[in-house]
Amino acid sequence: MKFENAAQAKQNERVLTILKDLLFQLADDELTLGHRDSEWLGLCPDIEGDVAFSSIAQDEVGHAVFFFDLLHELGEEDPDSLAFNRSSKARRNGVLLERGNGDWAYSVARHYFYDLFEDLRLQAIADSSYLPLAHGAAKIRREEVYHLMHMHLWFTRLGKAGGEAKERLEKAVQSIWPELGGLLSFGLHEQELLKHGIISFDTHELRRRWTSRMKAAFSEAGLMWPGEIPEPRMDGRKGEHSEELDELLSTMTEVYRMDPAANW
Amino acid sequence: MTEDVRYARFMERIERGEKIEATDWMPDEYRHLLIKLIHMHAVSEIMGAYPEKEWVPKAPTLRRKLAIMAKVQDEMGHGQLLLRVAEDLAAPLGKTREDLVEDVYKSRVKFHNVFHMEAKTWADAGVIGWLVDGAAIINQAALLETSYAPYARVLKRICAEESFHMQHGENIILALAMGTEEQKQMLQDALNYWWESLLFFFGPKEVTPAAERMLHYRIRTKTNEELRQKFLDKYVPRIWSIGLTIPDPHLRYDEEKKEWVYTEPDWEKFGRIVRYNEGPKSKERMELRRTAHEGQRWVREAMIRSRMATAAV
Amino acid sequence: MEEKQTEYSIFEVFIQRTQAEHHVHVGSLVAPSPDVAIQTARENFLRREKAVNIWVVPRDQITATPYEPDFFTREMDRKYREVAGYTENGRLWRMFKEKAITLEEIVAYVEGRKARERKKQA
Repeated sequence: MKFENAAQAKQNERVLTILKDLLFQLADDELTLGHRDSEWLGLCPDIEGDVAFSSIAQDEVGHAVFFFDLLHELGEEDPDSLAFNRSSKARRNGVLLERGNGDWAYSVARHYFYDLFEDLRLQAIADSSYLPLAHGAAKIRREEVYHLMHMHLWFTRLGKAGGEAKERLEKAVQSIWPELGGLLSFGLHEQELLKHGIISFDTHELRRRWTSRMKAAFSEAGLMWPGEIPEPRMDGRKGEHSEELDELLSTMTEVYRMDPAANW
Repeated sequence: MTEDVRYARFMERIERGEKIEATDWMPDEYRHLLIKLIHMHAVSEIMGAYPEKEWVPKAPTLRRKLAIMAKVQDEMGHGQLLLRVAEDLAAPLGKTREDLVEDVYKSRVKFHNVFHMEAKTWADAGVIGWLVDGAAIINQAALLETSYAPYARVLKRICAEESFHMQHGENIILALAMGTEEQKQMLQDALNYWWESLLFFFGPKEVTPAAERMLHYRIRTKTNEELRQKFLDKYVPRIWSIGLTIPDPHLRYDEEKKEWVYTEPDWEKFGRIVRYNEGPKSKERMELRRTAHEGQRWVREAMIRSRMATAAV
Repeated sequence: MEEKQTEYSIFEVFIQRTQAEHHVHVGSLVAPSPDVAIQTARENFLRREKAVNIWVVPRDQITATPYEPDFFTREMDRKYREVAGYTENGRLWRMFKEKAITLEEIVAYVEGRKARERKKQA
């Protein structure tokens, strides 16, 4: 069954619940990473790259806005309230994305892992039974092509360079790996999302595709494959988060909190 | 051709209003004046990203978050364009991008006084976008006629993008001016803090010897005071119109002389800030640039190494 | 030299805005390699405008003329190869009771007819 618009989805309470949960995952992932990316402004390894990376940050936040808009249509608060006025427990982003930026190698590796995941997740919702989501996914996926290309290039080049760069990249991969499973997932309601055709394949399939493409990149970069993706100790999809998210939110909402009712 | 003849021909070109290119012969003095000016301009764009960058993670709505990211990004982009112009001028002196960026944190290049100052509140970010950018736009618009063609070309692009910055800054300010009492107070405080810096921004009233040489070569065609007056013309009425008080009891327009009368900024204090990096944020922001550049040399080196590795395959 | 290893190369950037136009030079950037240059060129020069293609060319691969007016000088009369050199045609056609016609008129006419044909088919 297709849901052509918000009104139709709202008629099925269960569909509405699981759909919103998925949209929060999408929106929170994009906003959290976009926010972290924007912290690189003025601090990237070279000026040209700084400009390019900021575009990626803006794209991510722009995508978050799109998903918050969908949530608003489904009866949630306005996008700004959703972005600025929810506690960390209500957030559904992968814990990996809320972590501080670390060095350039960590940021590049995390971003590349995310971009490949995002590409696959968008594939999974490309034929979503919720049509507004399917339409948006197609647009967003076109924008993500550049991100994927950009981050692939950076990831493989840092690896190929050997020396300090490769060592830093290996270290980054090591610290990312235990938290990767919390990102590469559709959350608690995966089976129902599948049943209702909101997504077209499950976490297992997503990870299979991710692994096969990522292995090729690892081999191009000259890196050892770290092995199976372990289940995370802290699952952001369930609202479990680190202190780093609280710090992020406290910074992000500093001005907003002065007067949430004010027009800024 | 003797040096005198070359110089005379060069000056004939300048006086005819011709534009000079990077590969043309030019007097050393012309080259050095240009490097000093454009290097400072480039570095000011890059250092100017920092005060606003501090507010990027705190922007209070999604739209503001996106807009201020785009704005700071543009500034880095302008820094890139200007650095390229300065690099081509400095190439015959054996200087490259690496050197020109290093000069920032080694105190070998100055940057505008305003970017040494603190941005304590969201309203400061707004005032930077509105008035600091406003002042910069007036400065840059006056440079569009510069005799150095590569500079004129990038300025054209920069000015086109500044038109977005102008709207962005005004939009933040207008929201605050129409907002709660607290927001209005925040805006007034920000104006009080920035006013003197803004007047200083245009430089000393008298035409200094260096400025005289720039006018001579038509690198610039207007004096500091002419530009400051134009800034006051354009902005004072607008500042008043939104109910703000300018922190200068002597500020008035002299109808007879057709010019603004204002209390002069503390030339000595701001002069020291720019010369010795003594501003409240100078050292911290220079350190950021050092970390970005020196702390990540390993990245640039790696990218060059892996290009070699890739090319060899 | 140890220090020189950190030096990026200069690339000139050319943007093709639509396929009906040629690439146009828009500026230069520094990058560690051509593929990185292509990627940073997109954001350093196309943050607002649309394009269909980008070239990056290593600066040292470009051969240019000097800014020498002499190289570009055409002092003698070349009216014979310009439209302006044939103003008398109008007067001559009038002797045959016909009007002079320009290329632009023909192009407009051809395109106009095509437009009408498309309308008829639709």
